[in-house]
Amino acid sequence: MMFGALFFMYAGMRSHALMWPPPGVPHLPIALPAVNTAVLLASSGAIALGVKALRKGERRALSAWLGVAAALGATFLVLQVVVWRDVWAAGLQPSTGAYGSVFYGLTALHAAHVAAGLLVILLVLVRSLLGKYTEHNVMKVRLPAMFWHFVDAVWVLMFVSLYLL
Amino acid sequence: MEQHIHPEPKAFIWKYVFSIDHKVIARQFLWTGLMFLALGGTLAMMIRWQWAYPKTAVPVIGQLFLSQTGGAITPPTYTSIFTMHGLIMIFWAITPILIGAFGNFCIPLMIGARDMAFPKLNMYSFWAFFISAILVILSFTSQLGAASAGWTTYPPLSTNVGAPGWGQTYMALAIFVTGVSTIMGGINYIVTVIRYRAPGMTWFRMPLTVWGLWLTAILNVLFVPVLGSAALLLALDRLAGTHFFVAGAAVGIQGGDPMLFQHLFWIFGHPEVYILILPVWGIVGDILSFFARKPAFWYKGSVFAMIAVTVLSAVVYGHHMYQTGMAPLLGLGFEMLTLAISVPAVVLFVNWLNTIWKGSLRLEVPMLFALGMVFVFGAGGLTGLLLGTISTDIYLHDTMYVVGHFHLTMAAASFLGSFSALYFWFPKMYGKQMDQNMGKVHFWGSVVFITLVFGGQLVAGYSGQHRRLFDPYQYKYIAHLAPLNRWTSYAAFALGITQLIFVVNFIKSILMGKKAEQNPWQVSTLEWTHCASPPVYHNFDIVPTVVRGAHEFADPAVKKKFGRDYLDQVEPGLGAVGEESSDAMPEPEAIGAE
Repeated sequence: MMFGALFFMYAGMRSHALMWPPPGVPHLPIALPAVNTAVLLASSGAIALGVKALRKGERRALSAWLGVAAALGATFLVLQVVVWRDVWAAGLQPSTGAYGSVFYGLTALHAAHVAAGLLVILLVLVRSLLGKYTEHNVMKVRLPAMFWHFVDAVWVLMFVSLYLL
Repeated sequence: MEQHIHPEPKAFIWKYVFSIDHKVIARQFLWTGLMFLALGGTLAMMIRWQWAYPKTAVPVIGQLFLSQTGGAITPPTYTSIFTMHGLIMIFWAITPILIGAFGNFCIPLMIGARDMAFPKLNMYSFWAFFISAILVILSFTSQLGAASAGWTTYPPLSTNVGAPGWGQTYMALAIFVTGVSTIMGGINYIVTVIRYRAPGMTWFRMPLTVWGLWLTAILNVLFVPVLGSAALLLALDRLAGTHFFVAGAAVGIQGGDPMLFQHLFWIFGHPEVYILILPVWGIVGDILSFFARKPAFWYKGSVFAMIAVTVLSAVVYGHHMYQTGMAPLLGLGFEMLTLAISVPAVVLFVNWLNTIWKGSLRLEVPMLFALGMVFVFGAGGLTGLLLGTISTDIYLHDTMYVVGHFHLTMAAASFLGSFSALYFWFPKMYGKQMDQNMGKVHFWGSVVFITLVFGGQLVAGYSGQHRRLFDPYQYKYIAHLAPLNRWTSYAAFALGITQLIFVVNFIKSILMGKKAEQNPWQVSTLEWTHCASPPVYHNFDIVPTVVRGAHEFADPAVKKKFGRDYLDQVEPGLGAVGEESSDAMPEPEAIGAE
């Protein structure tokens, strides 16, 4: 509901605006965020494969997939910072009217969720290496994985509505 | 669901401070909520003082906190006072008392669970709430004063332009943090009710209290995040220089939109008023039945009415924004939906009246408060029709009439409902009996004066007095309302003084009250029939198997067989398996005793 409210806010602002993006603001890059979308999707896939492996009792495979997911998640954050730096340098800042506010506000709140999810995945990874998970407590890995998929789905919406439309 | 019995912690810090026991967390919420109720009430007294004797020194409190002006309230102080009064009462007084305290206490006990589904999450919920409470206190101590943009925190008033200083920022953050706490609690309640009902506790055997609290939890989880996002965006505007709600000359390029905040706020805000009243509806529905010694009239109707209100509450928020230049067609839609929500509310109301109709009323303190709640809620509900209708709202919008209306429903009804619950469950919470005579004085003082206070506000508003005016009498057309306001203030002061009786009673009863029996009210729900007062750490030694609903009263055959007028939710009852000969009347307590 929180992201729902944010998208509602964005839609409201955009439908009231005479021109969107407003004249004079720099164009947002598309290539790098597109790569980043793929990175996050891959990360989601990795954790799904990890859960699948654990279901079959392959605990080492779980750890490996978790490691891949965490690495991809971290890559996403790094690339996101690069995107912010480029856009900032091009002249779009949070105080550049509603457009800048929406761009930085939405992506930053999403990045905060990615960071939180990443911390949880790292924690799960450590516990996985310690051998805490078996095919009998898959739920403990499934729940963080579900959160990770959610963060991913929100990002796809964000990528489409902020960069493409 | 299989529930293990965990060993009880022995160390003080794990038992009473960072406890995961829902009964302890309930008491933590109760105490914090009552403290904030006192604080919010004191702020209300200061507002009433200002309207009775504008610009004169406030006795006692003025000397303590407003010494720079010799005790008088200045306009900026005044705006802070009414802002903080509203926010504190809603988020830090009613919410923790009704949902934090009684939600936590009643849900597991009434459905026959050993604790919440996520006990640790429950603890985090309280401590997140505690952090938000600290932010509220910080807001008072910050330079340039506490938040002052009204409880609704509308921009542009609440942006750095309208409210510079950290007071408003702290409150935006406090709202966000208390929202996090509420969501954690809400998820816990929802899962607990779905997964942890005792065997045989079907949905339609649950007490109405649990229904009310459960529906509240759903609304909380759905709509508090919307408020959270509004508060977060406001905080970003204030701290990071974004322009979500800032428009016009302050922004170079195409700016944000202050109206968006109103939308986000009321998408949450209207469900919120039902969040504050649904638990009370449930509690009162049960208590009226318990003390009228009759089954709750049309129990399923009450349940479906509460569900209908829960659903409709999500689609009526626009009636807070009739005067914002909304398209007339949209306004009409919201008007229709708003008036539609009064239908289930009336179903509940008629069910309450039918429950007490021809009952053997036991006018004990919880029952008195429940009846008082029915009265003020009826009055508040009727006054709301004039605000839901656009044509009359144009005149009454932003007057004291609105203040009187929402105080009757949200404040008076929630307040009396909370005390009904408090007097009712106090013996179970603390294992002590409260002084009933002091309780009765507390009730009569509360109900009479609370009606006078908010009734006075209705009249003042109908006469055209705008809400939130620092000194209303500087306007000629309101000047003649000074005596009315003064008398309303006298009633408010009397209401405040009446609460001292409760404070004395509450503390005295905890310290040296008479020991409570297991089931002092002679009612049928699990927490009274199958738990000691106070309950043991894991609530139930053996999780009982439920065979009937919560309101099994006034069956003559039961009276003949058991010598009492109710059946608890577990015992076999009449003609069921294992029936003894009619001479051997089972000892009532023996059935429930562990």
